[in-house]
Amino acid sequence: MEENEKKLSKVGVVSCSGEDLPEGTISRLATLETLHHKRPFDTTTICLPLFIAGGEGDRMFAKNHPVITVDGCEKLCAKRATEKYSGEVACSINVRDFIKNSDEIKNKSNVSNNELNESEKRIVSEVADVISLKVDEILKQNDK
Amino acid sequence: MRDKKFIIIPCSGIGKPIGTVARETAYEIIKQKSGTAETVCLALLTSGDKMAIKKINDNYCITLDGCAKHCAQKNTEACGKTPDKSYMILKFAAENREMKPEGMVDIGEGGRALVKTVSKKIISDMDEILQNEKK
Repeated sequence: MEENEKKLSKVGVVSCSGEDLPEGTISRLATLETLHHKRPFDTTTICLPLFIAGGEGDRMFAKNHPVITVDGCEKLCAKRATEKYSGEVACSINVRDFIKNSDEIKNKSNVSNNELNESEKRIVSEVADVISLKVDEILKQNDK
Repeated sequence: MRDKKFIIIPCSGIGKPIGTVARETAYEIIKQKSGTAETVCLALLTSGDKMAIKKINDNYCITLDGCAKHCAQKNTEACGKTPDKSYMILKFAAENREMKPEGMVDIGEGGRALVKTVSKKIISDMDEILQNEKK
């Protein structure tokens, strides 16, 4: 399917798994915030390790739908895997772009969902807002 | 020779509460066994990152899966490491039906109780592995 033929009802949001860093938890929570509350009817997600390991249904979805990747570090696992197996991503977001001035986050190794501090919660909200805006832009473009 | 650590690898499971339980269990174990337990990003490992692959092959490795796809266990094995222990969170959930995780973001009281139960069992097994090594 050609890129400009990707007519769709949903946008895929693929989050890094990021177990080993707080930005991974922020990626996941921002993705879930978008999926559950901000754009529940316009978005869906897939498990990244399953996708990388060869989940055919997931790879096919990402080939036929625009995908926003949400990564937690410069390794960009979500973006690189999506591009490798399913083609160019519609938008790539790196959580680290939102926390450049936050030493508090940089000094942590990992953090569970219920241990986020106020600064981290704010970043979750900001990232979710950006994902939602990108979803709107992508769907608007596809309506044209 | 340095002491080996335990690398705890949970499934990423973003689409199900049981995936969050796997992740939170890994964090609970790391908290309780601070200095001897760590984690590694499963997606990074699956992507073939050399440092991540070396880390799991140089240490004890424990996988926690949330569903029958067994992503954590299978991807670990694909990187040349047979996990020292592999767990299926769904099995614990079936054995402890009163401990029902509620959501993917907040697993609720039931989910947190399940995390405590699973992590207690795994920590006990980790201690057993170390004791057997000393024999």
